[in-house]
Amino acid sequence: MSNVLLSMRGLSINFGGLAAVQSVDMDLQEGIVTALAGPNGAGKTTLFNLITGNLTASSGRVTLRGKSILGRRPHQIASMGIARSFQDLRLFTHMTVRDNVLVAIEPASWLWQPGGRAAQRERMDKVDDALERTGLTALADSRAINLSYAETKFLSLARIIATGSRIWLLDEPASGLDVHSRTRFVSLLREATERGVTICLIEHNLDVMTEIADRIAFLDRGKKLAEDVPEKVLRDPELIAIYFGKSKQ
Amino acid sequence: MINYLFSILTLVMIYGIAASSLNVLVGYAGIFSVAHAIFFGIGAYAGAQFSLLVSSDILLSCLVGAATAGVFSLLLAIPALRVRGEYFVAAALGLQMVGVTVFSEAHALTGGHGGLVGIPPATLLGMDVSSPGLFLLVCAVMLAIILYLVRRLMRLSFGRALMSIRDNETAAESFGKNVPKLKTLAMFVGCAFAGVAGTLFAYNMMFVNVESFTFEQSILMLAMVVIGGVGTLSGPLIGAIVLLSLPALLSFIPFIPPTEIGTVQQFIYGALMTLLMIFRPSGIAGKL
Repeated sequence: MSNVLLSMRGLSINFGGLAAVQSVDMDLQEGIVTALAGPNGAGKTTLFNLITGNLTASSGRVTLRGKSILGRRPHQIASMGIARSFQDLRLFTHMTVRDNVLVAIEPASWLWQPGGRAAQRERMDKVDDALERTGLTALADSRAINLSYAETKFLSLARIIATGSRIWLLDEPASGLDVHSRTRFVSLLREATERGVTICLIEHNLDVMTEIADRIAFLDRGKKLAEDVPEKVLRDPELIAIYFGKSKQ
Repeated sequence: MINYLFSILTLVMIYGIAASSLNVLVGYAGIFSVAHAIFFGIGAYAGAQFSLLVSSDILLSCLVGAATAGVFSLLLAIPALRVRGEYFVAAALGLQMVGVTVFSEAHALTGGHGGLVGIPPATLLGMDVSSPGLFLLVCAVMLAIILYLVRRLMRLSFGRALMSIRDNETAAESFGKNVPKLKTLAMFVGCAFAGVAGTLFAYNMMFVNVESFTFEQSILMLAMVVIGGVGTLSGPLIGAIVLLSLPALLSFIPFIPPTEIGTVQQFIYGALMTLLMIFRPSGIAGKL
């Protein structure tokens, strides 16, 4: 049994009369890729927002290495080693590629550079490494707003790689990528899991899911309907019917 | 003639500082304040009171003006930490209105509508620096110091963190940025710099009243930032040069009657803003 890093129990949130997430129990195990699958509106991104503190749960608990993180602010949760990407990427569009990555890893202080020049050099090395891994070195001085679609996806990943976080929450990270870019992207995720990174990703592309995921949790209308290895979940006719819009009555 | 030129240049320096301080909020932190004249005014009143009651040393007065405006920036922080976008603009507008009312009514502190009169000539380490040439030099040095500080701050992690908040607050938070703390610091810095400008303004005019800190003044400072280039170091100064030198230039055009200069000036401001937003939305010094 793998080591559980992040655990959710009875996690729920209501938006007015809508139960967006209902009593979800789930564990993220160290070095394991868990894909969240389900139709639009299933509550996948909402679940991410609950973990990262962008939303506050109506009930339930979230623990990181056994310690509750519920009620903490997003920046506190990020500093505990949980990094996330967004479906709409949310890059710092008017900053350069290098600064996008650098700002993701440096603690903000006021008049001084935290840790002095040595720490800054160390951070720059991490930035260079993340840019090299994602193939963005040549674009380091370009502004993010001028990147191509695939490049923005890789920049979104570079920011997360550089943080050195042990848990990555990725919201549709490979959507819209061409086959070549997607293969590169998946190999970067594989490299990360080999280094012990735990990944939870939301993905609609079944090929990506089967290529990368060790487990799939299937959600619909806020409820977790199943969680198992991809071969089992993706062969369940009932889940597939829900996924492709033939919702059970 | 030379004194007239000095007086215009002095105002350019003072408003250059004020616009640069607003640029810290608007250009770097994404806090679209339309109440900056209030902090300019707080600095002016605080500096003026200090000169009347304690010392006419310009450096000490500027420190008092900066500290007072910085502390009062927390008033702007309250809405800025709770609401975003157009809601914050509306809240800042409310603060501007409250500020003008307080300036008009708090007679003991501001002199009410009559303002504070009899501000003594500025001194620096005991030396009189109130002559037009020397005062211009003092203002130019202050501007250089403020621009250096802005440049330095924005090149550090603090500046990058502010710019990340400006570009996407949620993403900045998800990368560990303490947004409320950083916004509060940005407002303190921006408003404290505005306080320096206000103090210099008080010494320059030797009189302050509420008319110099109205909503129109806040919009003038915002126009300087937008025309010069939001989020650039030189932009606010360029904006101040353009907007303050225009009336002076117009007064030299012989076929414009002096009574019509105001109208022509308004027309040119409006046309300039419109053309810039169409052809160069990032401002004169902005990146395309």
